[in-house]
Amino acid sequence: MKTFTHLRVASGYSFKYGTAHARQLVERAAKFEMPALALTDIDNMAGAIRFAKSCEVNGIAPILGINLSFVQKKYRITLLAQGGQLASLYHLVTEINSNSSDGLLTYGLLERFSNYSKNILILHGPESQLAAAIASRKNLEALSIFNATRDLFADQALECVSHLTRGDGPFSTSHAARMLGFARDHQLPAVLTNAVRMLDRSDGPVADVLDAARKLVPLSSKSVNRQNSEAYFKASSEMSYLSDEISRLAGERDGKSLLNITADWAQRTILSPRKDVGIGGIHLPDAQSLGAKSQSELAAQLRSRCEAGLSRKYVGAKSVIAASRLEEELSAIRTLGYESYFLTVADITDLSRAKGIRVAARGSGAGSLICHVLGISGVEPITHGLLMERFCSPLRGELPDIDIDVESARRLEIYDAIFEKYGQSCATVSMVETYRSRHAIRDVGAALGISPMEIDLIAKSMPHIRSSNISKALANLPELRSLNLNTPILKIAIELAGRLDSLPRHLSMHPCAIVLADQGLRDYAPQQINASGYSMLQFDKDDVEAIGLLKLDVLGVRMQSAISYTLSEIERLEGAPLDIDAIALDDKKTFDLIKSTRTLGIFQIESPGQRELVGKFAPDTFADLIIDISLFRPGPVKSDMITPFLATRHGLRPRPKIHENLEYILNETEGVVVFHEQVIRIISTMTGVTLAEADEKRRLLGDIAGQQSIYDWFYPAALACGYTDVIVTEVWKILRAFASFGFCKAHAAAFALPTYQSSWLKTHHTAAFLAGVLTHEPGMYPKRVILDEARQWGIKIAPIDINLSDATFRVEKTTEIGRVPYTAPDVASSGKSLQLPDARGFAIRTALSEIDGIDSKEIGTIISGRPYLDLADFVYRSGASCPTTESLLMVGAFDDLHKLATSKINRRDLLLHLRDLYRLAGSKSSINQSQMTFELQPPKLEASGLPNMTASEQVKNEIDILGMDISNHMMEFYGDFLNKIGAVRSSDLIKYRSGTSVLVAGVKVALQTPPVRSGKRVMFLTIDDGFGCNDITFFEDKQADFAATLRNSWLFLVRGEIRRTGPRGISLLGVGAWELAISYEKWRNLTVYGANEA
Amino acid sequence: MFEESISLSSGSTGAHVLAPEGEPIEFIYKGRKFHIHAIVSRWQESGGWWNRISDGKNHLAEENILDHFNDGARAIWRVEAAPEGALGTFEIELDEITKSWQIRPTSRPL
Repeated sequence: MKTFTHLRVASGYSFKYGTAHARQLVERAAKFEMPALALTDIDNMAGAIRFAKSCEVNGIAPILGINLSFVQKKYRITLLAQGGQLASLYHLVTEINSNSSDGLLTYGLLERFSNYSKNILILHGPESQLAAAIASRKNLEALSIFNATRDLFADQALECVSHLTRGDGPFSTSHAARMLGFARDHQLPAVLTNAVRMLDRSDGPVADVLDAARKLVPLSSKSVNRQNSEAYFKASSEMSYLSDEISRLAGERDGKSLLNITADWAQRTILSPRKDVGIGGIHLPDAQSLGAKSQSELAAQLRSRCEAGLSRKYVGAKSVIAASRLEEELSAIRTLGYESYFLTVADITDLSRAKGIRVAARGSGAGSLICHVLGISGVEPITHGLLMERFCSPLRGELPDIDIDVESARRLEIYDAIFEKYGQSCATVSMVETYRSRHAIRDVGAALGISPMEIDLIAKSMPHIRSSNISKALANLPELRSLNLNTPILKIAIELAGRLDSLPRHLSMHPCAIVLADQGLRDYAPQQINASGYSMLQFDKDDVEAIGLLKLDVLGVRMQSAISYTLSEIERLEGAPLDIDAIALDDKKTFDLIKSTRTLGIFQIESPGQRELVGKFAPDTFADLIIDISLFRPGPVKSDMITPFLATRHGLRPRPKIHENLEYILNETEGVVVFHEQVIRIISTMTGVTLAEADEKRRLLGDIAGQQSIYDWFYPAALACGYTDVIVTEVWKILRAFASFGFCKAHAAAFALPTYQSSWLKTHHTAAFLAGVLTHEPGMYPKRVILDEARQWGIKIAPIDINLSDATFRVEKTTEIGRVPYTAPDVASSGKSLQLPDARGFAIRTALSEIDGIDSKEIGTIISGRPYLDLADFVYRSGASCPTTESLLMVGAFDDLHKLATSKINRRDLLLHLRDLYRLAGSKSSINQSQMTFELQPPKLEASGLPNMTASEQVKNEIDILGMDISNHMMEFYGDFLNKIGAVRSSDLIKYRSGTSVLVAGVKVALQTPPVRSGKRVMFLTIDDGFGCNDITFFEDKQADFAATLRNSWLFLVRGEIRRTGPRGISLLGVGAWELAISYEKWRNLTVYGANEA
Repeated sequence: MFEESISLSSGSTGAHVLAPEGEPIEFIYKGRKFHIHAIVSRWQESGGWWNRISDGKNHLAEENILDHFNDGARAIWRVEAAPEGALGTFEIELDEITKSWQIRPTSRPL
């Protein structure tokens, strides 16, 4: 018996239809010893590369196709690429997706793109219009349908499918036989397929759930597609049996002829994973798009641009070192032929800067001098010991990957510029969303009609885990103990959710990747237009790497927007631009600010954990910042690399000495291995291999098998270089322990740059920087915490003013003096007092956009109508809605305009006046607004004698409308109480000894319960009291009493024990936490009661 | 069409059908032995497992989860069969879960 080839197979990439992964289907074909296998997913080819890779591994010839709606939504046909002609199918799919909104193939499109379709094969299967005609015995109509597409395709066949359904409709043996008979009558080719959508018969229920989920209806005989479980991956013998049955019913002796033609068609459509699909290939940007005619012209262009950059950035002795390093790097790039990629990325960063958009490199690319001199990366690689080899070398089996960080608010402008310039040779990349536990349980629950409340409860408690772990996860969740998970229906639901595990669900756009290839990009991958209107490859980032497409990650970073905004505010206020990229990296005041741990708003080092670390570490240099960022990650924290490092840094422990040759590598991190670059240098130094070879060795250290192979090589190699047994053993211990936790120094250095820049801006232009943070919200803290941070540096917070506030937070110079700024006390243990910013004389004007419910159109009309003479004028001309106007009034936006501070009129009077104005406007609502100003005499504004709002009512309004307290810090109302009970201000905690028990109070900033190694829950509470933030840790023993309060309250009184962790490191060990208002009431009752007693 | 379900023996065995290689060739119907001359057509049916999820009141303690997916898979043959030379048409159904057979005549025996 000959083996069968399945020409029609839907995998999980047929979203919410196919139940099997492409890999499983290929493995099943291998088990059945089938020579080839097709993948013909519905409406997309997103599985093509994974499928082809799997085929290559399993020694199976891949066939690629797609199943599409044709002429009408209800009819579907299958297209197959011919051997050597895959690009035609990709092009046609791209054209269909670019020229129709719903992926429907029409005769019109076929005629327009017949140059592609003429290389493609088409199967008229059981869902086709032709099959419908045959089912209703309209053979003449069937023939004319067949003839209509005859000239549009390379060849076409009838596809006979029997799923052994009852009766004689499509998918019955009788219909398959009639299709075959029709083909024989008209001498047309017919093939046999099983229209596979499942791996096994037992997958039927999974298919049913997917059908229900796709149609968004509960399971019923109407919502499911299948009548039985025959659409599974049948073996050759089963297909041969079917072929006999169908053929005999069509009047033939046996099924041999049908099987033979199927085998012929398989032969015609077989692809080579490498030659056709392009696995292992490479497609760099064209020389032409960069204005070069050849590769050698490109090389010359790269060289001259690099040399120009080099002479700008390096002088003196360093330029000699730099020049020789540049030669090395250029020769590596020459070997790899990557010139056009570097030039294209440099072109894109230039394009962005020309538009005034900030760009910074991230990742290992910062280790390359070429990236630095081309202006892609701002970090200087030689001084910081960064290595090109960590990023890209001729030995590396994978493509280099440059990531750039741009202003988040303007990221799409860069996309537009790239698409405008590079057109068809660039595209965005897709991302496959797969079923995870939450989605799986929701879809299954909805299909089975389980009560939404129960499903919601299970789904919400579900952490983001793989859905095959659901039952284990559920057993551990205390919230679900009340549900009986052992009822058959819930057991089935959980079982089914597990079977949906990791099936593709949806194709979406990768958030930041853009492929930069040559003009032939459409030959290499099918495309569609995504929701944002950009061309998107149907392949994801692993797929594009597999076929050698280089990509550029353009990441939106809010901090870059905040920095950009800060710079524009500085220029507006000072009248001169500031080049933040040119500032020196050794500013003492900047490091003083960092050491004070008052780092709120600064990139990377504002979190409670980082504030604790910079307090302990006290970084003094840019190099220290790089180390700080590298240390603050789960690996080093868990393996406790930080303690020995800090002990040596603070002189509590001698620096470990291993061998003098390694000192220059390890001294920068006090003998502890922190960076990948150090591992690379150690291996290279001790064995004599090049840095590029050493990096290859380093990469293998990540897993156990690799470690063994490196050990077997490293040990003799290092001995041969003259190192003693003892030293080699010790070094090996270090390499093994830290290699997997190490961090790429180039990446840390790239991050340290915006960290330093934002610190510098906060130090020297505090108000402008905090206005930038308030406007672009780059960090983790709510705005009211940032506002309070501003107050602490002496900045006035100006209320919304109808004639002054802008759409964003603006800085104003003011003569009103803010409060005395925070100063770091001169603490004996640190020995040095810190120089901290004094931002008195500046105010930050609250933005109009903070008004709850205001929209950008209203903001635009309000601003363009300025100045306003009074409230009535505003009501007539601003275009603001009634609720917006009332909100503006309530937060004091008209206070200055009506000089409330010096008149008898107060905000309540203004509110009454506003009501009068609206009553009047309402009665004349048919008249347009410009006429109203002329015709109407506004009602008079008078003092009604009502009392004005109290300070606390004002703050309450601000919190309700703006979400933050502008006029006063909320805690000020408790000032008297807190002083009387001896609560300590956060800024004063540093004066207390470790172990002291103190009371603190504040507003909740954050409550975090991160997973910790021991598995015990730790709750981290951060509160702000108007003098800074307190970080309090509550361990499990306290949680029983206080967890509910921690979760549900907003204002706290906390008792804690002080823990000193370094020169300026302070944290509190939580002992108790109470709702502040309740404590206050108790205290007041007590004092009143006590007074009566006396 | 006249349809009558019969079961010659009570319990799970259903009707007596001889099917040595999976496909029926002889059966006993109303006490008479029929020989199958031709299979007119055959088909498979399954589905509706969601209607057969037990309410949990009667289930055995050690039930296997997969037993809940009672997909009701059935194979049906429509055949021409004759007792002692007479020819008739029957549907013979094998319940693939319980392995029991059902016979329905689709026309009266001649």
